Amino acid sequence: MRKTYRILPVYTGDVSGAASALYEFGGMTVIHDPSGCNSTYNTHDETRWFDKESLIYISGLNDIDAITGNDDKFISDICAAAERMKPLFIALANSPLPYLNGTDFKGICRILEEKTGLPCFYVNTNAMHDYSKGQSEAFLGFAKKMLRAPEKKIPNGVNIIGMTPLDLTSTKIRLSDSYETVSNWGLNTSYDEVIRATEAGLNIAVSSSGIAACRYMEEEYGIPYIKGLPWEGRPLDYMDVERRHSKNYIVGEPVISGSIAAYLKIKTGIDYNVIAATEITDGLLLDCDRKCHGEEELEEALKDADNIIADPMIRLISHSKANFIELPHFALSGRLYLKKIPDLLDPGLYYHGI
Amino acid sequence: MPTSSDESVRIGDAVFPKPFANGLEFNAPAHGTWNIVHIGFRIPEAHQIYICADNCLRGVVMTAAEMGELGRFSSVVLEEDDMTHSGRIEETTIEGVTDCLRKLPKVPPVVIVFPVCVHRFMGCDIGYIYRVLEERFPDVIFVRGFMDPVMQKRGTTPDQRLRKAMSDIIPSLPVKADTVVFAGSDMPASENDFKKILELNGLTIKDTADCKTLEEYLSAGEASLFICQYPAGLMAVKAITQRLDRRYIYCPLSFDYGTVEEELRESGLSVPDRFFEDGKDACMAELKKLKDLIGDTPVAIDYTAVPKPLSLARFLADNGINVKTVYLDSVDVSEKADFEYLQNNFPDLILHSTMHVSDRRPVRSKEKVLAIGQKAAWFEGTENFVNIIEGGSMYGFNGICGFMRLMEDAFNNSKDMRDIVPRKGLGCRSCI
Repeated sequence: MRKTYRILPVYTGDVSGAASALYEFGGMTVIHDPSGCNSTYNTHDETRWFDKESLIYISGLNDIDAITGNDDKFISDICAAAERMKPLFIALANSPLPYLNGTDFKGICRILEEKTGLPCFYVNTNAMHDYSKGQSEAFLGFAKKMLRAPEKKIPNGVNIIGMTPLDLTSTKIRLSDSYETVSNWGLNTSYDEVIRATEAGLNIAVSSSGIAACRYMEEEYGIPYIKGLPWEGRPLDYMDVERRHSKNYIVGEPVISGSIAAYLKIKTGIDYNVIAATEITDGLLLDCDRKCHGEEELEEALKDADNIIADPMIRLISHSKANFIELPHFALSGRLYLKKIPDLLDPGLYYHGI
Repeated sequence: MPTSSDESVRIGDAVFPKPFANGLEFNAPAHGTWNIVHIGFRIPEAHQIYICADNCLRGVVMTAAEMGELGRFSSVVLEEDDMTHSGRIEETTIEGVTDCLRKLPKVPPVVIVFPVCVHRFMGCDIGYIYRVLEERFPDVIFVRGFMDPVMQKRGTTPDQRLRKAMSDIIPSLPVKADTVVFAGSDMPASENDFKKILELNGLTIKDTADCKTLEEYLSAGEASLFICQYPAGLMAVKAITQRLDRRYIYCPLSFDYGTVEEELRESGLSVPDRFFEDGKDACMAELKKLKDLIGDTPVAIDYTAVPKPLSLARFLADNGINVKTVYLDSVDVSEKADFEYLQNNFPDLILHSTMHVSDRRPVRSKEKVLAIGQKAAWFEGTENFVNIIEGGSMYGFNGICGFMRLMEDAFNNSKDMRDIVPRKGLGCRSCI
């Protein structure tokens, strides 16, 4: 049954993804959910808690307010918190019960903007999708609400879009001196940095979470984008590197997995096929790649594997004869392998012999 | 007097039982307390199955993963179609649980099923689900769990109800007059006068928090007396003793000598001569040692450390310890007398919320603070803290002495707070 998980955990959810994306952007993210539900994000899906503050709160929704659709407390609590904590914007994230009762988040955003004078936007989540969707919605929501046409352009300026600890631990993007990094969305960054994004001449989507914001900035501000991790000092669209069907698989997020597969192809000539286990895949897979949803599909897809590059937990559903190269992914195994996550931008660390 | 909209308030100005106004909530990154996953695994050989949305599932499945218990944990993911098609949520729950069980190498003897908030919200027919599951798996004992935090602000919490559901499977067995069971706590009784006196009375002691096999767990049904020392377990103990027609004693860790003496005297157990006098003397000696050691060092206490934080604050303050702050969000009704006593005698004692929005930017003093509990340690930013939850299942004069020794140790030896407090479920295995 597609919806059951015998032993694997699910990937980080969309609500946590939204909070992670906006963590360093200077705003206040409010999750409309019962008391304590933010502990999931706080405990398992966020690494920055001790080093960098962020205004991420939960509404503490109770059954009566959920049943009666009482939004007044939600609104007044947000206003009080905003008055106290002075965020630069407010983002609202949805959860199953407000999703079910059809809470009008966009309407609430309008009321909050009137009452607080702060920009406010809705991040379209409902806890039923994975983190890539939540991050994508958050980056897009921020871009639509906050970005303005630039006063100046930096032609060689680039934005790194779609970078959070859920996928990547390092911000050491190895771009040559001919490029200038304007902003990073959103790791080791700040509001002052990301708000300058429209000055850049190129966007690099380093994960599927960044694609929607890149497309928006292309349409609205004429900034072209490419997909993939930069290798050896220059941006590279991993989709431009041809790969063929093989029994070597990289399991994970499609842009990062595709980038690694492209790099391995260029460097070694070995074909790896991507098995995308996260949600956003449209236009991100080659013909040799595939999408798998859930444990059962993934287990089936790995049955003929010769080589597997994946999070160590995937080993639980892989046959024992496959050669397994561990590449921990925080959005799957969380804190279990946190100390073993290598710098993805340095494949020699995890794929020996390059 | 209105509740405080600030993150802290002098107890002299505080309102009982809710000193702080409701609002958006912050969640401090201190996670040593147990959640329903930890609690559920107290039934040996039990398998847990959660049926919920992705984001809700993540917290519980990673709890099991960090415990190294994924082999005893499965899940069913709810999606939008489960909520928009009539009857689909029941179907997905039944077929999902069935699929999980059929995929296991061996069907477990006990399965704890956890529906969630949306099951309640959609009026899901939970009774029908269990009827079908019990028909399909007649040899399995199904424990009726629930993960519905939307209900927890009124009435009982999910963990209270889980403890009751876990006790519901304990059968009524022929009573053994010489068998007593500790029940309702997460951790086995440790430095505990009840345990000591039961041993002196030659009684057989069982502990539902310390069972190695399912058979041992279920044999709690033969006990003549149940002892509950943790407030969240009281509902379960009341229910099982009523169902089995047995006696129970409720005695959470208290720092009041009179309460301890009264509870032990009323237990009906034979208490040795001079037990109370010697116990008090030992406590006074340990108190003097503690006071000599820490002097006027400020002490902060949080509500996760002990069941009765104000009882502890009163005890320490009365004995000259400089209790500066108690971290809590509400005051349990059982602590009303302690609250009023502190209001009248130590009105400058600070009550500090652990969830207030401004807690994201805690103001930390540079002086050495001795914290009791993980949240207090995090808020104070101190590495000198007693790493304890739920009173460590201590009780009585032994418990009080043990507690002060822990304070002395915490004062003398710092701990790696950043490594310790994010780990979930203190006392459980942690694989991170």
